[in-house]
Amino acid sequence: MLVIRNLHTHYALSHIIQGIDLTVAAGEVFGIFGRNGVGKTTLLKTIAGWVKPTEGEITLNSERIDGLNPDRIARRGAGFVPEDRRIFPGLSVEENLTLGYLQVPGRDAAGDRAALAKVYVRFPRLAERRQQHGTTLSGGEQQMLAMARVMIGTPKLLLIDEPSEGLAPMIVADLFAIIKEMKQSGCAILLVEQNVHQALTVCDRFAVIERGQIVLSGRADNAAERDKLLTTIAV
Amino acid sequence: MVDALTRSMRASHVLVAILVAASLAVAAFGVATNDTFYLRLATEALIFAGLALSVDILLGYTGLLSLGQALYFGLGAYLSALVLMVIPSFWAAFAATAVVAALAGLIGGFIVNRVRGVYFALITFGMAQVAAKIVYNTRALGASDGLIGVPVININLGIASVSSASPAGFFLFVLALIVILYALSAYLLDTPFGRLLIALRANEARIPFLGYRTMTPRLVAYVLAAMVAALSGALYPMLRGFVSPELFFFATSGNAVITVVTGGAGTLVGALYGSVLLTVLKSVIGSYTEHHLIVIGLLFMGAVIFLPKGLMGSVRPLIERMLAREPKQ
Repeated sequence: MLVIRNLHTHYALSHIIQGIDLTVAAGEVFGIFGRNGVGKTTLLKTIAGWVKPTEGEITLNSERIDGLNPDRIARRGAGFVPEDRRIFPGLSVEENLTLGYLQVPGRDAAGDRAALAKVYVRFPRLAERRQQHGTTLSGGEQQMLAMARVMIGTPKLLLIDEPSEGLAPMIVADLFAIIKEMKQSGCAILLVEQNVHQALTVCDRFAVIERGQIVLSGRADNAAERDKLLTTIAV
Repeated sequence: MVDALTRSMRASHVLVAILVAASLAVAAFGVATNDTFYLRLATEALIFAGLALSVDILLGYTGLLSLGQALYFGLGAYLSALVLMVIPSFWAAFAATAVVAALAGLIGGFIVNRVRGVYFALITFGMAQVAAKIVYNTRALGASDGLIGVPVININLGIASVSSASPAGFFLFVLALIVILYALSAYLLDTPFGRLLIALRANEARIPFLGYRTMTPRLVAYVLAAMVAALSGALYPMLRGFVSPELFFFATSGNAVITVVTGGAGTLVGALYGSVLLTVLKSVIGSYTEHHLIVIGLLFMGAVIFLPKGLMGSVRPLIERMLAREPKQ
């Protein structure tokens, strides 16, 4: 699904991502951990096309996507849920959701209705507030809307940046249940998260980044590797 | 159940219906009193409302401040005048204007949509200024005098015909055309494309991550606005019998922006009410003092400070609330 080889990214003279290699398979959640400022978000932005890599390869379903514009990467099946959610002001919840699938090729009205209905089943809070302006939702609901808006476009790869940031524990549990559902539906997920314990409930594999490099990686179901992870990032 | 944008659009339609009803009353009064001046003035207000409508498509929906929309208005006016002087047919002038405006909008759109924000405003301003200077210095276009002697035409509507010399008839014809331009713009902006423009205005950086190219919707909005401005401009020589380079000048573009801000950006109907208000004010205040622009300038400042959403931006929510009420059982 997603294969990254020797990825390097710079912000002007700052070398942020310094040779990262990783793969994420379909139906797998890969957790990215590390302190603030080590390059986790930059890694997601580079995959999504927000930042152009200076070296290396990114392939999605055997197709090179490094260097492409974000819209082309999104149309190839990569959905990005940024940390700041970015709900569009002036649009209702449903209008925000609609924007998530308009660009999907071969769509029809019946399919659109079915996609919306499916999202509302998965996110009943959004169904209750479908006519409300998106920016008037609570933080947790906005995060759900941001995820739903990307999910409605049926991405093959989901890039999620700190979904639990600033949210109540109950909402966080809901969000991670949805991530688990996405994983079971065959979506490859790259998850950047500070709440490591919560993230490990859905992750299959993980990596720790320091100064733009992977310094530790392992499987979430391996107790020794989990312990090493928790020690490394001192949780 | 209707969403927020559709509800707002419906409220705008109600306000347009009120404006149309008031216009019909004005026309009836004009015919009854055998008035020419005020019907001509009202027709001019509607023509400039079309220009303001084009500014609102860009400013209110796409977040693009055009300071050079007079480029397309003037283009439409000159092209219409040139066609009418050769073939005195409304439909020939209108069709030629639509085609040329679409092409000009496409070319202009490719140039201006390469930049954002204040640079967009400056480039639109610059392009209109270049066009104004070219027209001003081209003898074939009448140079600084403009084109004089556009013939009176009979507009064949199939079941009837309207003379451009008939104050009431031409007023009603222009009213119908401007309402059609409004309706077409409103229809387009009420589709998912309109939502995309609003999202673009709100957060252009986020849009590509949902799989959209930002250039395409911006370009479509720009071409649409160019066509609305040019088609409105095409009516001007039919009303006045001449065109002059002033139609390309910054004052024309600037007035359209003031009209939209005063009327209410992002409402479409605000452009129509704003144009009527400003034209009437210019005429009424102008009959007392030649310094009427000072009064209009102060009014504009007052509107920005006290009615930041503009006249219709403040009135429309009331209509929306009325429309949102459940009907009594």
